Amino acid sequence: MSAGQVALVATLAVPAVGASVVAALPSRADRAARLVGTVAAAVTLVVSAALYRPGDGGWFSFGPNPPAIRPWHDLDVSWASGLDLRFHLGVDGISYPLVVLTALLTLLCCGYTLWHVPDPGRGRLLTALLLAIEVGILGTFLALDLVLFFVFFEVVLLPMYAVIAVWGGPDRRHAARKFVLYTLLGSVLLLVGVFTVVSAAGTGDIVALTAANPLSRGTQLAAFTLLALGLAVKAPLWPLHTWLPDAHTEAPTVGSVILAGVLLKMGTYGLIRVAVGVAPEGARWAAPVVGSLAVAAIIVGSLVCLAQRELKRLIAYSSVGHMGFVMLGIATLTATGLQAALIGNVAHGIITGLLFFLAGAVKDRAHTGLLDDLGGLRERAPGLAGVLGFAAIASLGLPGLAGFWGEAFAVVGSLRRGGPLWSTLAAIAALGGALTAAYFLRLLRRVSHGPASPVVAAMPAGLARPELASWGPLVLLALAVGLVPALVLGMAHDPVQALTEVVNR
Amino acid sequence: MSDLQLPHINYAALAPMLILFGAACAGILIEAFVPRERRYPVQLGLSLAGVVAAGVAVITQAGTRTITAGGAIAVDGPTVFLQGAILALGLVALLFVGERSLEAGGPFVAQAALIAGSEPDRRQVVRPGATEVYPLMLFAIGGMELFVAANDLLTMFVALEVFSLPLYLMCALARRRRLLSQEAALKYFLLGSYSSGFFLFGIALIYGFAGRVDFAGIHAAALGSDRSNALLYGGLALLSIGLLFKAAAAPFHVWTPDVYQGAPTPVTGFMAACTKVAAFGALLRVLYVAFDRVSWDYRPVLGVVAILTMLVGAVFAVTQTDLKRLLAYSSIANAGYLLVGVLAMSKDGLSSSMFYLVAYGFTVLAAFGTLTLVRDADGEANHLSRWAGLGRRSPVFAAAFTFLLLAFAGIPLTSGFTSKFAVFAAALDDGQTWLVVAGVITSMVLAFPYLRVVVMMWLSEPAESTPTVSIPGVLTSTGLAIGVAATLVLGLVPAPLLDLSTKAAEFVR
Amino acid sequence: MSLSAYVPILGLFALAAAFALFSVTVAPFVGPRRYNRAKLEAYECGIEPTPQPIGGGRFPVKFYLTAMLFIVFDIEIIFLYPWAVSFDALGAFGFVEMLLFIGTVFVAYTYIWRRGGLDWD
Repeated sequence: MSAGQVALVATLAVPAVGASVVAALPSRADRAARLVGTVAAAVTLVVSAALYRPGDGGWFSFGPNPPAIRPWHDLDVSWASGLDLRFHLGVDGISYPLVVLTALLTLLCCGYTLWHVPDPGRGRLLTALLLAIEVGILGTFLALDLVLFFVFFEVVLLPMYAVIAVWGGPDRRHAARKFVLYTLLGSVLLLVGVFTVVSAAGTGDIVALTAANPLSRGTQLAAFTLLALGLAVKAPLWPLHTWLPDAHTEAPTVGSVILAGVLLKMGTYGLIRVAVGVAPEGARWAAPVVGSLAVAAIIVGSLVCLAQRELKRLIAYSSVGHMGFVMLGIATLTATGLQAALIGNVAHGIITGLLFFLAGAVKDRAHTGLLDDLGGLRERAPGLAGVLGFAAIASLGLPGLAGFWGEAFAVVGSLRRGGPLWSTLAAIAALGGALTAAYFLRLLRRVSHGPASPVVAAMPAGLARPELASWGPLVLLALAVGLVPALVLGMAHDPVQALTEVVNR
Repeated sequence: MSDLQLPHINYAALAPMLILFGAACAGILIEAFVPRERRYPVQLGLSLAGVVAAGVAVITQAGTRTITAGGAIAVDGPTVFLQGAILALGLVALLFVGERSLEAGGPFVAQAALIAGSEPDRRQVVRPGATEVYPLMLFAIGGMELFVAANDLLTMFVALEVFSLPLYLMCALARRRRLLSQEAALKYFLLGSYSSGFFLFGIALIYGFAGRVDFAGIHAAALGSDRSNALLYGGLALLSIGLLFKAAAAPFHVWTPDVYQGAPTPVTGFMAACTKVAAFGALLRVLYVAFDRVSWDYRPVLGVVAILTMLVGAVFAVTQTDLKRLLAYSSIANAGYLLVGVLAMSKDGLSSSMFYLVAYGFTVLAAFGTLTLVRDADGEANHLSRWAGLGRRSPVFAAAFTFLLLAFAGIPLTSGFTSKFAVFAAALDDGQTWLVVAGVITSMVLAFPYLRVVVMMWLSEPAESTPTVSIPGVLTSTGLAIGVAATLVLGLVPAPLLDLSTKAAEFVR
Repeated sequence: MSLSAYVPILGLFALAAAFALFSVTVAPFVGPRRYNRAKLEAYECGIEPTPQPIGGGRFPVKFYLTAMLFIVFDIEIIFLYPWAVSFDALGAFGFVEMLLFIGTVFVAYTYIWRRGGLDWD
């Protein structure tokens, strides 16, 4: 076993072991347990970051006719030979940023939980569940076998359900049930799609499937439809998004951060890696539909946000719009579009994670999230208002910050695709970008500016150190990715190029 | 008469059954001669020893592929695998049956047929120490061993009766809720006899068609017989009814919820795990060995039965409020998934079905085992509402049960996922897409009743009347540990057992 | 397949039906009618049923037990006849098998005996 393979296994094993240890500790050692969980999350971050392989070392070692997926590290062992299941993990430029982002956000959330446990307490279990979710998400990003991908995809479901249903807001049961209903439906479609591919191709190996494309046209259309529908629920793509606002609004702060920050990315990542890679012909066939829905999501999400009166709900709906840009990027099936989708994914994870942290901070202090009751935050808590302003501006896509590249490149990719349909979509999406700016500015005006409302005037002013510690890295990353998009795009360039070659073969 | 041929008998191959029946007879003699207060340890020890010895005998036959006892018994890969499975599951079931620390004198009475509530019945309810259940268990396990090994229809019928009659009786032995228990037994007996009648009539028709009752003969006759095919199809249909009844497939499932609810919980677990193995083992042999040439004709019909079974199980499970009934409907749905595997009609179908039987058996045994622990003054508290907030009171127990429910729901990393995946993959390879689609959709529906229980345990506030979780004795703890561990291990590393079932998946004809 | 093979069976059916019809219709006209209590019972066989407890229709369960025991031994005897006829051909194997068979029945018998199944009161 090479060092890379050890790191791959450790990336999953550390949080898994951490989760079991944390859950097994007695409840009187609650704080110690949370500390153990945070340490496990930190180790995971270090290990996952170590997966990076700089430069194109080994890039040419695949020979003159390289496969479309060339993982930096590759672990492929038989899991259940009778069923032809393989435990195939790998990481490359497409998955690496998301892996690190997941590990980072989980660490921040665990650290945040160390400081503040939402009602009804039992922070040790919350930490354990966060780590369990991390295992599922990391596994999804690392899996290079369809069935394994599905398995990890499913692992996330129940812990997330528990996080929402136990630590959520007043309407948590309803939101949690809706989340499970939608996600299970998506899983069923995904599973049928996986079955279709595996039985038609005789293998579930994503590398082999992407390289050879053994599926017939009919199978590809069916497989893409099923896979894309299943993943679109998670992403979520309009009109399958209705679980998202409820879940995000009701979930506790750390739950919202994980949900918006990385859980949604399982859908879009799956779409790129699995649906497009395995059934490129199906992807070409369905691209106009996906693109149109994505643009509809951008417009609908923005319009709904303009009318939103609740802070967390507004941010939740903004996710629909942002993921619309990501989906549009994927739908173009061009290198530019896919790059946009990848960087959009990462940027959205950073910024929306930050936004939910901030919304949680506001709600914890003011005990309300209604925009009507807030106002004048800038006077009372200038630090908080400043970070909120930064996050909102980053999210609306100001050039120089992370949010810009994803949105702009998605539009550019759509334009480059050419033809009346894609040009129109690009134009509408650009309009949606403007609407995004409008509602975020409205948000800032309602929350930060103006005279301080009674609830704001009554809230404590300062920022706690743990809060700064959990926001700081995200602020820095938003700046860094915005200024040097090559951080993400550089390592993704070659794999995306290879993938577009497959699609346009 | 002088040229009478004595059958050749391979005693080693028959040893598991001989050991079990011998131990059962010895058990009856113990009942007759050992004083009442000393019977329990003797009976329990004898039963466990008998099952273990039979297990050893099965293991020694691992490579045997033979037909013996004048063509009545076939000992081949599936026989050995399924016999081993029945013994392993039966052993765990025996552990639950033998538990006495939960209820003074154990959960069984001696006389099943006393009028409920009458004076003698009330006397036997308070008197500890009924041990009739152990010989009955041994007879039932022995009958199941014979059932999966039967190589002709008559032997199969005899075996069917040998394991059914003790089961009918065991259903009526519950110490608590006597009337419900007797009702369950009577229902099971009446419907069971009815289905035996179908089975027997089916044998008659098949005999009319083939002139033989052994599977190889039927197989040969199916290729070309001058008799009417109506006899063949009619006979097969009636045979299938008999077998599907035991397997609890719709529309022959109506007994299941009542019987599962009324029977003593350890017996319910035993039925859900072992009877299912036996019924499907026999069904596999009948369909794969005797009737494989007409598979094109019966597959659509059985496919419809499978879909109906999955639907009925899943949809009705949603509305249940009693945990035993919920598990009963889930067992019906699982019969449907097993049928999907059976209908794959391939080596993969055979091996995946056998794997499924083992995986499901351990999970369901552990699930019923946990049900025996949640008690109040009236015995077990099986109503769903009584389980509210149980997660607060005994998190370890609730966590184990949650895990089992997740396995039922087919969540990955449990045996429920691998086994479902195995049967669905086998069916897909064979082009039975419609069955798989139905299976996947119903498993999603079926996830909800399980999740409802999970939510009930963890998210509801404990009520005043929430029952306590008894501390299980050594036997129950061991049984639970085995069941949960098997569910976990078969979910994480299914390869060894899958390899075993694949290696075993070859019938002799 | 020729149906002619079934003609005798059909003839037999017709004959049986005709006989039944004839007896039922003719008997009331030609037979003597002397009713008494026993003949009005459901199973009109001329024998007075055993005295009934209140409510009627219930036998003590002991009768069933005796009847079941009788059937068990009855069937044992039925198996013994063909065995005895071909005893020579079956040899030692048959002897051992029959001993086992009788032994098994005996095991059940001892259980009934020890548990008081043979005590009349």
